[in-house]
Amino acid sequence: MTQTAEQQKHTSTGQDVLVVDGLVRRFGDLTAVADVSFRIAPGETYGLLGPNGAGKTTTISMIAGLLEADEGSVTVVGQPMGPTKVAPKRHLGLVPQDLAIYPDLSARENLTFFGRLQGLSGGGLRARVAEVLELTGLTDRAKGPTKEFSGGMKRRLNIGIGLLHQPTLLILDEPTVGVDPQSRNAILESVENLSGEGMAVLYTTHYMEEAERLCDRIGIIDSGTLQAEGTRDELIRLIGGVDNIQLTAAGDTEAAAEALRALPPVARVDADRGRLQLTVHDAPTAVAQIVTTATASGLQLSDVQISRPNLESVFLHLTGKALRD
Amino acid sequence: MRAALAIAGVELRRFVKDKGNVFFTFIFPLVLVFVLGSQFGGSASSGTVTITGPASDLRTAVSEQLEDNDVTVQLASHDDMLEQVARGRTDVGLIIDEEAVTAYSDGGSAELEMIASSSSTSSAAQQHVRVAVSNLDLQQLQLRALEEAGVPTTEASEALDTAAGQVSEPTLEVVSVDRLSQEFQGLGQFDLGASSQLLLFTFLTSLAGSSTLINARRQGVMGRTLAAPVSTLQAIVGQSFGRWVIAFFQGGYIMLATWLLFDVDWGNVGLSLLVLAVFALVAAGAAMVLGSVLDNEGAAVGAGVGLGLVLAAIGGGMAPLEIFSDTMRQVAHVTPHAWGYDAFAEIQRHGGGITDILPQLGVLVAMGLGVLLLGTWLLRRSLARSL
Ligand SMILES: Nc1ncnc2c1ncn2[C@@H]1O[C@H](COP(=O)(O)OP(=O)(O)OP(=O)(O)O)[C@@H](O)[C@H]1O
Ligand SMILES: [Mg+2]
Repeated sequence: MTQTAEQQKHTSTGQDVLVVDGLVRRFGDLTAVADVSFRIAPGETYGLLGPNGAGKTTTISMIAGLLEADEGSVTVVGQPMGPTKVAPKRHLGLVPQDLAIYPDLSARENLTFFGRLQGLSGGGLRARVAEVLELTGLTDRAKGPTKEFSGGMKRRLNIGIGLLHQPTLLILDEPTVGVDPQSRNAILESVENLSGEGMAVLYTTHYMEEAERLCDRIGIIDSGTLQAEGTRDELIRLIGGVDNIQLTAAGDTEAAAEALRALPPVARVDADRGRLQLTVHDAPTAVAQIVTTATASGLQLSDVQISRPNLESVFLHLTGKALRD
Repeated sequence: MRAALAIAGVELRRFVKDKGNVFFTFIFPLVLVFVLGSQFGGSASSGTVTITGPASDLRTAVSEQLEDNDVTVQLASHDDMLEQVARGRTDVGLIIDEEAVTAYSDGGSAELEMIASSSSTSSAAQQHVRVAVSNLDLQQLQLRALEEAGVPTTEASEALDTAAGQVSEPTLEVVSVDRLSQEFQGLGQFDLGASSQLLLFTFLTSLAGSSTLINARRQGVMGRTLAAPVSTLQAIVGQSFGRWVIAFFQGGYIMLATWLLFDVDWGNVGLSLLVLAVFALVAAGAAMVLGSVLDNEGAAVGAGVGLGLVLAAIGGGMAPLEIFSDTMRQVAHVTPHAWGYDAFAEIQRHGGGITDILPQLGVLVAMGLGVLLLGTWLLRRSLARSL
């Protein structure tokens, strides 16, 4: 009890909920995780973005105290974490990449069981189970064995179990893999809601769009190493991030190019047979001004295309390979 | 402790939901108990005697005598006879060799060697053999008397006297039956088999049930359990408590069924249940070790059944420990079965009390704790393996 009060104090004083420091894990000759360090602040959503085999799940297993680290340390709400530690696990909610539910038990039985393991009991447990069933849209299907569930329903239950005890840090390991776009969107929305309620989230994915949409900060991981870390914009700036606008037009492209070069957001213009390539800062804001100027210089525009560097380009830049192979 | 109870509860719930489990744990042993019981019942009348030796007047005479007394007589080679005796398929092995045959027809002293099995009906059969042989002896005396005697009564009695002097009574040499027959004195026909079956089944079912631990590991729920504030020891204790309840319930059920159906005397029931409880602890712990070492449910069931049979065979779950050689009996005591067997023997046959079985209980508890701790360590290691 006193411990919980103390932990509460730690969190409320703004101490990081998770500190990962120099984690290393080898499997035989293979170094699955080679020196990974990062921190997650209270209420923050942190994304680990990396391709298959990057070491995301291995990192998470060490954070959740399921796997012994060969080197380095994990601290959860100020307490050292490891396979033999029990107390810090109270603060974590783990949603494993592979479904971890009993197929022969019902959704309610699954939730009740894992709730008990988290120390919930009696009316409190029943109330939370009902809330989570509602949240995951499984209230109507609470009774049947989960092996009769659709893939999406199983995924939702898998996530629900992680939320049951309202953890300080929710760890989601690729929760949308193998889910149809609709369920996927529902999952992303609920993660946004949780984070809105102040829950810190560690989210791994190899979908760039998910990381962009959900995460306050993103760590790019490849071959067991964190390649870069920061907000989306910081990461893009890292590769000298500038946007591109391509204009397709008829008319005097040379004259138009001259006029466009004079605009402040425009860094560079290349004209080539009815096509203009512009390198600009902040394309969405600049595009209106650019179109006006181009039209004013007598161009008849037939197409305007904006392209911005995304995390995909960042990943390509950092590792020399595509995020999805 | 709450976590361990929750885990045990969920395992029991899953166990009950699976109809196959119910069949193999409760219906199947009953079927086997029934089959074995009727086998025992069939030979119960006057027992079976297996005779070995060449065809001879003596062999025919002994067979006829025995059959007259409702004893089933079988002929077999020496080795087959020994095997049948060892397995309890026959109650008594009787050796009528050339030497005895010659001695018999010459009216000399014939020595018949008798080997008693440990089956519960053996002492009755031994008695039949003794009676048959002394009857033969009498017949032989009369035959000689008639041959030698003329008509006159005085001469006849003289001849009888002479004959009595010539024909010595065939002497029976009983080989190593005394300790055994004493050991099994007063034991009901199925008492011995029932305690062995009990040990065999509870252990075997538990080991085969190690597949549920592998199942929990494969389905990721074990990982999820250990990501909750639950120690590996608590997880193992919970899992094995679930197993233990099943094993104890199964054992208790076999005790009840054999008592009702075959009138098996379990002695002091409280003590017998205590032995069962401690033995089931070892069985459950062993299942945790197996379930942490193997990664495939099918393999676990196979290994569980195989190991269950082998351990039972070594440890007196199939043939009584008393017929084992001294070395084999020592070897047998690496298995929990042998200790369980000894404890049941104390309770069932010698009316032993708690103090008499303390050594056995102590060893079983130590074995149980040993396998539980080993299981905990192995389970933690197993999480680093990809399944
Ligand atoms: N238990 C294990 N034994 C041996 N090698 C392992 C084990 N677990 C992971 N690995 C290896 O470690 C590397 C990292 O695996 P990990 O599961 O952490 O990747 P990931 O980033 O989660 O990939 P994915 O996106 O496919 O889930 C891989 O090369 C994998 O084969
Ligand atoms: Mg993974």
